[in-house]
Amino acid sequence: MLDRLRDPSERTLGLLLLAPAFLLLLLIVVYPIGKLVFNSFFDLRLSGGGGPKFVGVENYVLVFRDPDFWNAAKNTVLITLITVPGALVVGLGLALLANLPFRRKWPVRLALLLPWALPLSFAGLIFAWFFHTEYGVVNDVMRRLGADEPTMWLLRPGWAFTAICLTIIWKTSSFMALILLAGLQMIPRSLYEAAEVDGASRWQQFWQITIPMLMPSIVVALIFRTITALQTFDIPYTMTKGGPGNATETLAMLIHKTTIDYLDVGYGSTLAVCMFVLSLFVTGFYIRRIGRNA
Amino acid sequence: MQRRHLIPTIALLAGLVTTSAFAQTTLRVFSGGANQRPDLMRKLFDQYQAANPGVKIEIETGGATSELQRQYLSTVLNAKDSAIDIYMIDIVNPAQYFGAGWLEPLNAYLGNPADVMKPYLPVYAAANVVDGKIAALPAFADAMFMYYRKDLLAKYNLPEPKTWDELAATAKKIQEGEKNPNLQGLSIQGAPIEGAVCTFLLPYWGQGKEFNDASGRMTLDRAAATRGLNQWLGMVDAGVIKRNVAEVRTPDTVNEFKAGQVVFAINWGFAWDRFKDDKDSTVQGKVGVMPLPAMPGGRSATCVGGWQWAVSAFSKNKPAAAKLVQYMATPAASKFLAVEGSLMPTYQGVYTDAEVVKAVPWFRDAANVVIAGKSRPLSKDYGQVSDVIRTTTSAVLARTKKPEEGVAEIEARLARVMR
Repeated sequence: MLDRLRDPSERTLGLLLLAPAFLLLLLIVVYPIGKLVFNSFFDLRLSGGGGPKFVGVENYVLVFRDPDFWNAAKNTVLITLITVPGALVVGLGLALLANLPFRRKWPVRLALLLPWALPLSFAGLIFAWFFHTEYGVVNDVMRRLGADEPTMWLLRPGWAFTAICLTIIWKTSSFMALILLAGLQMIPRSLYEAAEVDGASRWQQFWQITIPMLMPSIVVALIFRTITALQTFDIPYTMTKGGPGNATETLAMLIHKTTIDYLDVGYGSTLAVCMFVLSLFVTGFYIRRIGRNA
Repeated sequence: MQRRHLIPTIALLAGLVTTSAFAQTTLRVFSGGANQRPDLMRKLFDQYQAANPGVKIEIETGGATSELQRQYLSTVLNAKDSAIDIYMIDIVNPAQYFGAGWLEPLNAYLGNPADVMKPYLPVYAAANVVDGKIAALPAFADAMFMYYRKDLLAKYNLPEPKTWDELAATAKKIQEGEKNPNLQGLSIQGAPIEGAVCTFLLPYWGQGKEFNDASGRMTLDRAAATRGLNQWLGMVDAGVIKRNVAEVRTPDTVNEFKAGQVVFAINWGFAWDRFKDDKDSTVQGKVGVMPLPAMPGGRSATCVGGWQWAVSAFSKNKPAAAKLVQYMATPAASKFLAVEGSLMPTYQGVYTDAEVVKAVPWFRDAANVVIAGKSRPLSKDYGQVSDVIRTTTSAVLARTKKPEEGVAEIEARLARVMR
């Protein structure tokens, strides 16, 4: 045994070298997820101090019947469906703009990077001020344009939702743009030159060359953006705290509230497992699509 | 040269002798956040250390709000951590912590609850006794007050209103007279923050109704709760409260009152010093404090806050800790905190103490407000109770829910928690 360790075969050496990484993964990925799933079968409320009590699948039955869960799931899916394509369109526009032959490239690149570098909660707080009924710049502009009654942006469910989606699109489109810009720069100039010789218009070049050549970058950007959209927390939390009522509460916020504010770790874990399954489902869908494209 | 060494040597030797002569006990205290003035508590601890050489007190401070502190302490106490001996906790917490078995019952150290708690203001005597056991002792009090512009009421020759309807009429008259479109009649907190729990409870209690019985079971009167919320909405319609009240947080009320844009404002006790002392306050010397108005046929009632000292059930120095808690809850300590930091006393007698009145003249009136005060629902799941009440109240004030819908929702959501 010791001899084999001292002079390992190729196979043993491979396993030995993999072991640290595997152990690390076990510790920081497998164990927490396993513990989460384990906790989801318990009534584990820290407010009571009573200790965990096994309840089987009762938590999952409760989740299924919980209107707050379905409301949060609906909001999360809606935010994803609106902000992911939104950020893609805006991001593509920004990327095309940044790809123009400027004499100085860095100011454009910097402008692209800034919103991305800003912490999410900062963006949320800044936009909460923008949309504030009395002190906000949005209502100030509207008043100058002739609106006589200020709009209570963050106090009306529809408007609050719109404001949050706009903020998320603003915040995330620069990330989209960065990935797409990298993709744009990989497209050989010769393709456009050949198209020009053939008499293709700018519009035709965009649809026939740019978009197909950019597809791999678009898919990568979409995957990343969709996964983070499903986890949306910071921006609605800082802008509305889920309000008015729970009209803008997302799944991540519901989990946070249940676990941290209500100290109900068991039920919070169950909600987190449900969200994990949802993410897995969406990621699986993308991966299958990519598999087919490749 | 030798003499320079002599003094430290003697000091060192003396130190060694002291530590060996007295068994040194180190007590670790969680002393709240900056608003709970750990600096003043430190001074009291120093006095105690000087009088009790065998005790050394270390303090630890925590999050800025009651919610953040509760999250931290719940984690520590769930882990049965023995590192902290004494906790300063919000008045909404003794029921939860004691129910969970996290606090040491103090009867054995202090005596019979009825005798021990008698000198304190009734609301604190009640909130700190759980199931016949002393769960904690009051550190200092706080309450929601009705601040008003004395100068404006005098200008229009109007008396202090006694009911909410009178208050609305008074505010309206001043608003019309001043012709200032930015002048609000009344400022309350409608954002989904802890203050909104009181916004819900004030007009409800004002009708003589109770939210829960002594055992913590919910006794919500739906009709009265709906009337209470309609009361606020009526004032919004009348232009007394501003339309975006569901966006108003505690500091907004303070800042707008300071800027002279508010006639009546409901806020915690700390606001008084802000109005009086802040450089940007335009209302210095123009502020009065009065009891909260009542609903028709009801009586005035306010929301009480305040902080308590409790001994951890996991402490390894319980007798020493109980002795320190007893010291921190004496009239002398209460007076010190009142004079040095305008922290409100938990003894009625201290409010009228000559030195206290000299330092904080408005405490003379404050005593009556605190005596009429009530504590928020006591529940081991207060985090959830509070969240449900404030979120729903805010949604009703934002007019995304009808008052009766909101009340039904509060009842349905809390039925499981408060039983």
